[in-house]
Amino acid sequence: MRRTRLVALPLLALALVAAVPACTSDSERLTIYSGRSEDIIEPLLVEFAEETGIDIDVRYGDSADLALLINEEGDQSPADVFLSQSPGAVGFLDQQGALAPLDESILDLVDAENRASDGNWVGISGRVRVLVYNTDDVDPADLPDSVLDLTDPAFEGDVAVAPSNASFQDFVTAMRSELGDDVAEEWLTGMADNDAPVYANNTAIVEAVGRGEVPMGLVNHYYNVRAKEEDPSVPSENYTFPDGDIGSLLIVTAASVLETSDLPDEAAQLVEFLLSEDSQEFYSEETFEYPLAAGVEPADSLAPLDTLSVDTIDFDELGGGLERTRELIEDSGLED
Amino acid sequence: MAVSMLIGLVFAGPFLYVLWRNITLGSDLWGELTSASTLRAMTRSVTLATAVSLSTAALGTALAWLTTRTDVPGRRLWRVLAPLPLVFPSFVGAAALLAAVAPGGLVEELLGPVGADRMPDLNGFDGAWLVLTLFTYPYVYLPVAARLTLLPSSLEESARLLGRGPWSVFRTIVLPQCQGAIWAGTLLVFLYTISDFGAVKLLRYNTLTTQIYANRLFDRSQSFALALILALLALGVVVAERVNARRAVRVEAIGAGRPHVVHLGRWRFVALVGLLAVLVGALIGPVATLLYWAVRGLTGAAGSTDLATVAAPTINTAVIGLITAVVAVIVVLPVAFLTTRYRSRTGGVANTFVVAGFAIPGLVVALALVFWVLNAPLLGSLYQTLPVLIFAYVVHFGAQSMRAAQVAVSGVPPRMGDAARMLGAGPLRRLSTVDLPLMAPGLVAGAGLVLLSTMKELPATLLLRPTNVDTLSTEIWNAAEDGFLTDMSVSALVLVALSGVLTWLLVMRRDPSR
Repeated sequence: MRRTRLVALPLLALALVAAVPACTSDSERLTIYSGRSEDIIEPLLVEFAEETGIDIDVRYGDSADLALLINEEGDQSPADVFLSQSPGAVGFLDQQGALAPLDESILDLVDAENRASDGNWVGISGRVRVLVYNTDDVDPADLPDSVLDLTDPAFEGDVAVAPSNASFQDFVTAMRSELGDDVAEEWLTGMADNDAPVYANNTAIVEAVGRGEVPMGLVNHYYNVRAKEEDPSVPSENYTFPDGDIGSLLIVTAASVLETSDLPDEAAQLVEFLLSEDSQEFYSEETFEYPLAAGVEPADSLAPLDTLSVDTIDFDELGGGLERTRELIEDSGLED
Repeated sequence: MAVSMLIGLVFAGPFLYVLWRNITLGSDLWGELTSASTLRAMTRSVTLATAVSLSTAALGTALAWLTTRTDVPGRRLWRVLAPLPLVFPSFVGAAALLAAVAPGGLVEELLGPVGADRMPDLNGFDGAWLVLTLFTYPYVYLPVAARLTLLPSSLEESARLLGRGPWSVFRTIVLPQCQGAIWAGTLLVFLYTISDFGAVKLLRYNTLTTQIYANRLFDRSQSFALALILALLALGVVVAERVNARRAVRVEAIGAGRPHVVHLGRWRFVALVGLLAVLVGALIGPVATLLYWAVRGLTGAAGSTDLATVAAPTINTAVIGLITAVVAVIVVLPVAFLTTRYRSRTGGVANTFVVAGFAIPGLVVALALVFWVLNAPLLGSLYQTLPVLIFAYVVHFGAQSMRAAQVAVSGVPPRMGDAARMLGAGPLRRLSTVDLPLMAPGLVAGAGLVLLSTMKELPATLLLRPTNVDTLSTEIWNAAEDGFLTDMSVSALVLVALSGVLTWLLVMRRDPSR
């Protein structure tokens, strides 16, 4: 009895290994590396495959990890399309020369500030940076007009941040690009001096604010929307800084076509599909993000797009790019 | 000999990759090594790993002894439950435990009426130490419990007859005989802790690993320099431990029979409370939080989770995990024989790479595999197929079966093989009729560790799995990434349940003392 089991397992292993078809070299299928998670993009990709008859393979993962993977794969990358959760990861691949330029006709679907200046990637949807706050602990009247005011001693220990999070880093990078390195450095140090509690990510902050552990936190807007959906009684609300303050920056998620793609036309077709009216409505209605094309309006619960700070970070013009942002964050002492 | 060199080379793959990337990216290794922030991060990594090692050695050994050698109530159940905390992906376990005990969390909500209204802050060193201790003690528990199951009870019985008390017997007889297993498990805990990313990040304790991750995209040369430092640290620790392990007492595992049972008397219930306390923190607490999230989501407005979607990932997870566990044991067995029975030098080198490889973060192991598979001749077509994924797991987790295998091999008295040879049994026959049956509990314990670790592994799984093959860990990541707590909890609960079933099949059913 025991002997048969010991023998059976390796045999099972061999059978399974042999059964795996060698399908990776199949160039007829469009391969998508998606930093957007399955839950919030799969329905669109399936619809694309059904509409066009193009077979697709999707590899989901963390945007930064996938960008590293594509870079490591080099010429042999099976990827045709890279979808990134933030401009940082797609900007990295662009700097490595891994992206192919998109057609004007596709680029023009989106406003200039929501796409790469070199035309190598395009924004497909957007999240807004907000201040989430606990309504039991904070009077909305006391909320400041600008994110820069959060270094005020009045907010000592009250505002949670996630410095290792890509969105936070994109926000700091945008702050550098718009207001200069000095302002960004001063703000980061000010937040550190103010003992801003540090959390691992957006979800952790929103959970902590919801249970009253910390009164406020800087996050992307839709985490609280989702938390309220799972538990409507949670006393937390999003606050958007007014007048296009940098604290309410719109961060785009991006689509790009790989230089090494062997299906460039089909890849471009997918990017165009993601900017179509139907897809843009999906973002508005299902993921509570900001649609960036086709004149689709965001969900009613969100602040109108024209009241927000919208800015594409031009990594080439920005000294040191994200590496410098990381340095500033590290040097500020915020993570200690 | 050639076999062990080959195995050593394969397991050295990630090290060579990190070294190569340091060269191609022109990393300033010396500058990193001497920079204040690196030193601070390294000190933190080592301090935390040392503290967690000490506490898990004590906890794991105590639990193993209680469940295998005493009459503590419900020990058969504890034997299935005790290894399970290892299955939590560390970010999930840490998040769940945090949510339970954090200010305003579940515990406070439950205990608030009786006066416990402000829970301790679990962040920083204290939190990381506590959480990692609770989730990694099984690395010590499993090998020690396996060892205790096989220990001849004659010595203990003699000691008892000579009037020694239970504590004295434990200290002078049981403990020395378990030393090898305790060292083996503690080393794994140390290596796991310095490579952990999820828990330390959530608990805001910055280590070498969090720096490697934070800079992985934007400052790759620094990231790889830090990875190399981590790798060198791990190699140093493994070599140091081996030198020390040479002095370990050699114990033979014959005449197992029915192990000696210590009657705890009125201490039974003290022991029971202790066991319960550990399991509440390491298993029941996190599971309760996950259940709370799952039920809240499934019964709430957004109750759209389709439970059927978990079926395929569950099967994938079980099958891939079992295959990996078996392959890992088979792969490391030759090295275990060479190092333990023949004290071979190449075996020792191979062993060092196999064990130290466990400290290299999963993401780096994955990237190394991508590099080797795509650049080695003939291997390219295997890219992103199941064999490569399993291979990556074996490279990453081989250490766990290695030490268990060594402990198992050292437990087989060579004279039994000699006797079999004199009776005319060939090498294969000796292996299958003498060695394997005697080593089985140790090997199974090692396989169990690999199984539990593989099922939760994330970065390598995301990057290397065959496209469209989902596992429970990828499901958990997917949901956690965008804040879908309900979906995350459901997948995590299924993962814990699946591990429970597999642990029961592997550990319980072959338990000779039940």
